[in-house]
Order: sequence, then structure tokens, then C-alpha cells
Amino acid sequence: MSAPLLSVRDLSVVVRNGEGEQTLLDRVSLDLAPGDILGLVGESGSGKSLLCRSLVQLLPSRAISVTRGEVWMGGRDLLALGDAQIQAVRGAEIGMIFQNPSSHLDPVMRVGDQIVEGLRFHRKLNRAAAQEEAIALMGQVGFTDPARQFAAYPHEFSGGMRQRAMIAVALSCDPKVLIADEPTTALDVTIQAQILRLLMELRERRGLSIILITHDLGVVAQTCDRIAVMRQGRVVEVGDKRDILARPQHRYTKALISSHPSMPTDEANDVVDDKVDAARLPAGPARPLVEIDDLHIRYPLSGGVFGRRRSFSAVAGVSLQIRAGETVGIVGESGSGKSTLARAMLGLIPISDGHVTFDGASLRLQREATLTKMRQQAAMVFQDPFNSLNPRLTIGQTLAEVLRVQGKVAPAAIPKRVDELLRLVELDPDYAGRRPRQLSGGQCQRAGIARALAVDPRLIVADECVAALDVTIQAQIVALFQRLVRTMDLTLVFIAHDLAIVRNLCERVVVMHHGRIVEEGPCAEVFERPREAYTAALIAAIPDIDPDRRLLAPPGLLAS
Amino acid sequence: MSGRARAKRVNRTLIAGLVLVGGFALAALAAPLIAPYDPIFQDGTARIQPPSLTHPFGTDNFGRDILSRIIYGARVDLQMAVIGVFFPLVIGTVIGAIAGFFGGVVDAVLMRLIDIILAFPFLVLMLSIIAILGPGLSSFYIAMALVGWVSYARLIRAQILVLKNADYAVAAVSLGFSWRRVLFRHLLPNSVAGSLVFCMSDAVLVLLSGAAISYLGLGVQPPTAEWGIMVAEGQAFLSQAWWITLFPGLSIVLLAFGFSMIGDALGEAMGVHE
Repeated sequence: MSAPLLSVRDLSVVVRNGEGEQTLLDRVSLDLAPGDILGLVGESGSGKSLLCRSLVQLLPSRAISVTRGEVWMGGRDLLALGDAQIQAVRGAEIGMIFQNPSSHLDPVMRVGDQIVEGLRFHRKLNRAAAQEEAIALMGQVGFTDPARQFAAYPHEFSGGMRQRAMIAVALSCDPKVLIADEPTTALDVTIQAQILRLLMELRERRGLSIILITHDLGVVAQTCDRIAVMRQGRVVEVGDKRDILARPQHRYTKALISSHPSMPTDEANDVVDDKVDAARLPAGPARPLVEIDDLHIRYPLSGGVFGRRRSFSAVAGVSLQIRAGETVGIVGESGSGKSTLARAMLGLIPISDGHVTFDGASLRLQREATLTKMRQQAAMVFQDPFNSLNPRLTIGQTLAEVLRVQGKVAPAAIPKRVDELLRLVELDPDYAGRRPRQLSGGQCQRAGIARALAVDPRLIVADECVAALDVTIQAQIVALFQRLVRTMDLTLVFIAHDLAIVRNLCERVVVMHHGRIVEEGPCAEVFERPREAYTAALIAAIPDIDPDRRLLAPPGLLAS
Repeated sequence: MSGRARAKRVNRTLIAGLVLVGGFALAALAAPLIAPYDPIFQDGTARIQPPSLTHPFGTDNFGRDILSRIIYGARVDLQMAVIGVFFPLVIGTVIGAIAGFFGGVVDAVLMRLIDIILAFPFLVLMLSIIAILGPGLSSFYIAMALVGWVSYARLIRAQILVLKNADYAVAAVSLGFSWRRVLFRHLLPNSVAGSLVFCMSDAVLVLLSGAAISYLGLGVQPPTAEWGIMVAEGQAFLSQAWWITLFPGLSIVLLAFGFSMIGDALGEAMGVHE
């Protein structure tokens, strides 16, 4: 490795609160070579973002401070610089992009002007030159019509384009180092592949060094040269990508690799075995538990009293049958209508056209009766574990309320049943006394699953229920679902944008695009031999943990 | 700022506010015990006396002791603030919750009603209602309830509109909970924080408009001691006897200050400003 461009030595950061000091970063040392991409991997709270913010003295709170260590770049210790000097480093030498471009772009400023701002401040260009340069930059990061898009506002772009705009803003000051903090976490797989490819291109073309923060080892395997694994404020392992992926030394790295969804797990194999088990398959032409027939869901767009009625079709003619005991995955990009379909399936949103039948009862013809039946036999698990539990109620109160309203358990037996439910989702019964805010994301999601189980349901619809969780936690939740499906007589509809998880968990997969089903069939078959080009593009965009299986996708399809 | 430092500052503001409001409340409760004179007794020999040992806040043009009148006045003014806030809060919360939760026609009708009420200047509307009902405190309360609920309704409606799409609300519906349970047990408790904070600053407004109404002769009737009337009556003598106006005016300001400090502290503690 050549002489490092950026070198972090023994960096320690602590937070002081009422009780004393708590170490957030513990003697972290890292090197970044020119033109290198360093992947910083770890779970939320492991200190990856904090580390990068410390480099440019952007600590999130006054109570947090650097206690020791040095950050060397260009012969200076960045931590020793004064306010004015570090401000010249931020942007000009170290640029940053973030997970959520919409909250880091100014919504009332034209995208082009936000790029011009950096060019004028750091590179002292005049207005005309800056504008020309900004348009050139927008072209470089993949805007198709930069001259026109210069004048557009952030809300006019999709998430992927906004991320490109942020990259252009960061590049406007011509930094040597780009810190990308989970830049693709909020994006669909196909868009993620595009952004990752863009970052690699920029590295080639501009000799940029990149620190890529991510929780997805697949992303790292596809893009980075070196990997640093962080856990609880320490770098537990650092080295060449291939060495670490092939021969992980630290226990945590091994766990991280084995819980990556593109790795077939043992439990997934169990499910495959189950599928062969004839006893589990419904015998003969059993009546499907859920039957969806030519379903349309439309939302009125503009309107008011006098506006012309226009509408947007979120679901446009979907037919689907789900048999009792089946595990069905619904995949698709954001906006493909999969969540809308899930909610319609449970009678939570009005149906514009078509039929939803639950256990022989039609939601259209006998609405009240069907809803009553659904409420007693079906339950939903949501994406955001914190937002899906009432913040004012303890977990125990939440579960007890469901049991009380459902009335399937005698009032005296409710506390015992709450304990059982918590055990079922592998939570300690003591958690009954806690509120959602006192739990971690994974624990919250377990509580959400317990709430669904409190209904004693035949059908569980899980809407992106692992999307907000760290990978190792994701793997645990998926394993929990696998166990529940195996041991209880459950039908599971699992909605995800992450195809790899669906592949591990489900027997059958349904691929949605623009409100329609483009392909469906047994998981193994669809993933091995996709019939539709769209499905193939989706599958190819999954970053595999094996660095030699490149992100291959026909570029024409992804651009659409 | 760390949680503890913030908690400390919140506590200090809260305590200061409680001390001010509590002090006035105590004075109001114990008025007959601590007031040195009868608040409406007119001492012909002691008219317009400046503050002295016998009359610490001086006397007015009828020879009444200002301190005693302020202490008795606290009874009326506190009552005005509490009742004048309570009914609008309750009415506004229920109406706002229903408008936000059901949406559609119900919402449109209720919101237009609010627009109509807001189209009139607050005091003009209050005065017209009181003029119809006849002067007096009960008219003031009724007018307050009829006009004041709109702010609460809008606050709560906005909260409910956001919260009803929260996953836990959808979850509650999907678990077969009745709409009453979803609205009143799950949504409302999570949406009242803003209104509770606002009702403290609203208490200030109620206090001031009560004083204004009394000042115009439509609220509390003389000779009852009330701070707004005292300010009004003292106005004529402002150049010779500043104390007649200053002390009741100061009481209004202090009580208002106390309420708004409690409101601020509550807001910080409940994270409303974040």
C-alpha cells in the first residue's frame, strides 16, 4: 500500500453525561490510501458515522468530545486545526454524502444552485464559470439533461437522482476524500447498484478516495478494496477485502458474514426440506385462504371540490391466491404497490375494483362479516418497529389490550398468555414492563410480532418488517419467522424489497412492478430461472457477498 | 446539551412558574385571612394615598386598599383563567379529534366553521356574544367557550391527521379495535402534549382578554375587585396616582408570566418543541 492519504491514529471519543463518561470510540486506527475505497462495516451504534464525523470535527453534541488521537492528512493533524482552518477542510478536502439525500438537500433551493454554492465558496469561481462547471458535474454523476435539470428542485427528483445530486454537491469542491454514510440504504436494489457503480467510476476518473459506511457486507464485497469492521466503538478487524471475506478472524466478522442474506443458511435448507414434506402441502384443490381477483386500488390525485378528477393506480389488476400454510414473498421496488396490496388484503384500505376473499368471505359482498373474520384470524407486522407500537403503552399493556379486545383468552389468563407470547418471540417476560423507547429495534420488532401472534392468527402479513434492522438482527427475525411457520399453523405473506431474504424464507415468490404482478412461482425456480427481464434485473442487482460475482445487470433495464 | 442539564433547566423554569401561579392561588384561597382590609370598604378619609406602611400599595379614589383588592382580585382572575381555558380545551380537543380522524365531509364542515370564527377579530366576536348575552362573568365564559376552542381544534386535528397514519394506528385497526378505542386510547393521548403546552399560553390570553372585557365594562361588574377593572378605573388618575394602575397591572403580568413559564417547561419536558 502506498503512503496513506488519511491516517487515523488512536482516536478515542467519549460522551459525558450526568453519570460520567462513556467511551464511544476506543483507540481507533485506520489508513486510507489514495484512490482506495475503504468499507466501514458494523451495526447501528457501532460508531462508524461518529468516526467519520470526528475526522472533520463535526461532533453531533457538545457533550461528545475527542479525548485522544490524531487524524493526519496532508501533513497536518486535522483534530488540532482551529474553526476557520477545519472549515476549509470540510468540503474542499473531505466531502460527505449521507443516507437520506432529501434531508441534506435544501428543499427551497434549485439543485444547480446548491452545487454552484460550493464551487464559488471553495474554488472562488465566478457565477458563469461556476454554473458551467455545475452542469458539467451533473452530467458526470449521471443526470441525463443537466442543463434543464440544473433549475429543478430536489422534490422533483426520485431518491436515486437526489443521491446523485448530493454526490455532485460533495464533488463540487473537488475533495480528495469522499465519506459516504450509508448512501444506498434508503434506495431500491437496482438504484443502489447504479449509485455504487457511479462511486466506483468517480474513483477511477478522479482518483477519489472513498470511505463507504454501510451495514451491508454485500455492498462492501462489490465495491471496496479494504474493509474495517467496527463493533462497539472499536475496529475489531481491518484488512484487504478478500482476506477478510475469505478468512474472517474475529467472531463478530464471522457472524456478520454468515448472517448475510445471500449466504444460504442451514435454516433455509430446513425450509426446503419442509417443502418436500408432503404433509405440509395442502392436499388436493383446497380452498385458498386468501383469494385476490383482479384487484384495483386507485388514489385520487388532484382534486378539491372543483378540480378535475385524476387518479393514480397503486395496484392495477392483481390476481393472487394464497393457500393455507403457504409462505409467500412479495417483492418489488418502492412504489411497486406491494404495501398497498398487503393493506388491501387485510381490508385496511378501500378497494376500487375487484375482489378480496378471505376464507371464503368476500370483502366486497359481505364487508362487515369478512372484516370481523379477518380481524380475528389475520394480523400484520410493520416496517418501522418503533412507529408500530404505541409509545405510551408498555409492551405488556399493548399485548394485554389485544388479548382483551379479541376475547379469545379468559381475562384471568391474560398475564400468563402475555408471558407466553413474549417467550414465543424469544423476549424475556420482564420486557412486559418496558416501553418501546427502552427497547432496541430488533426487540421492538419481536414485540410487534408478539402482538400479531396475540390474535392467534391463521395469516400474518409482514410488510418490510426487517428493512429497518441491522443484518445480524434481520437474520434472527427471519429465523424466528421460520420457526413460527414451522411450529404453528401459519400462513405468511412476507413483503420485502430484499430478494435474498425472501429467497431464504419463502416457498413462493410474487414479483410486482408498477402495481402489477410480473412474475410468480416457486422461489427456487424464479430465482434460478427468471422468465421476465425485470425479475432478472432485480436479482442481478443484489450485491453478493462473493466479490467475484460482480453486479451484472443490463444497463438499459436499470436506467428505465 | 446533555439530558441532565436540560432536565435541570426545565425544572427551574417549572418551579419558578409554579411558585408564581401557586403564590397567587394561595393568596386567592386565603384572601379573607391575609387581606388587611375589606376590598370594597370605602374609607372617605384615605382617598388616593400613596403606598405607605398602613396601605402598602396605596389606596384608590374611593379610599379602598389596593393590596386587599389585588388579593381578592386574584380569586376572580384565576377563576377566569382556569374556566376560560378548560371549556375551550375540552370542546376543541373533541371537535379536532373527530375532524382529523374521520376526515372527508365531517372535516370539511368543521374546518369551514373554524374559518368563519377566525374570520372575525377575536375581541369583536367576544364582545358581540357578551353583548347579546348581557354583561357578566358567565357570559364571558360562554363567549370564551364558543370562540376559544378553534385553536385547540386545529392543533389536535393536525396531530391526529399525522398520527392516524402511524403504523400503530393502522395496527390497532387491523387488530379489530373499535374506532373509539383507536381514537381515544391510542391517538388522543399521543396528540395532546401540544395542546397542554398551548393552554398555558392561552391562559395568558384569556387573562388579558378577561381584563380587557372588564375594562370595557362587560365583564366583572364594580365594585367587585378584579385586576382589569382596577386598571381601567385607575387610568383617569394616572398622572397623580400611578399606584392605582401599576400594581394590578403588574399582577396581571406576573400571573401571565407564571403560566407561560409552566407552559415552556411542559413543552420542553414533553418534547413538543423538538
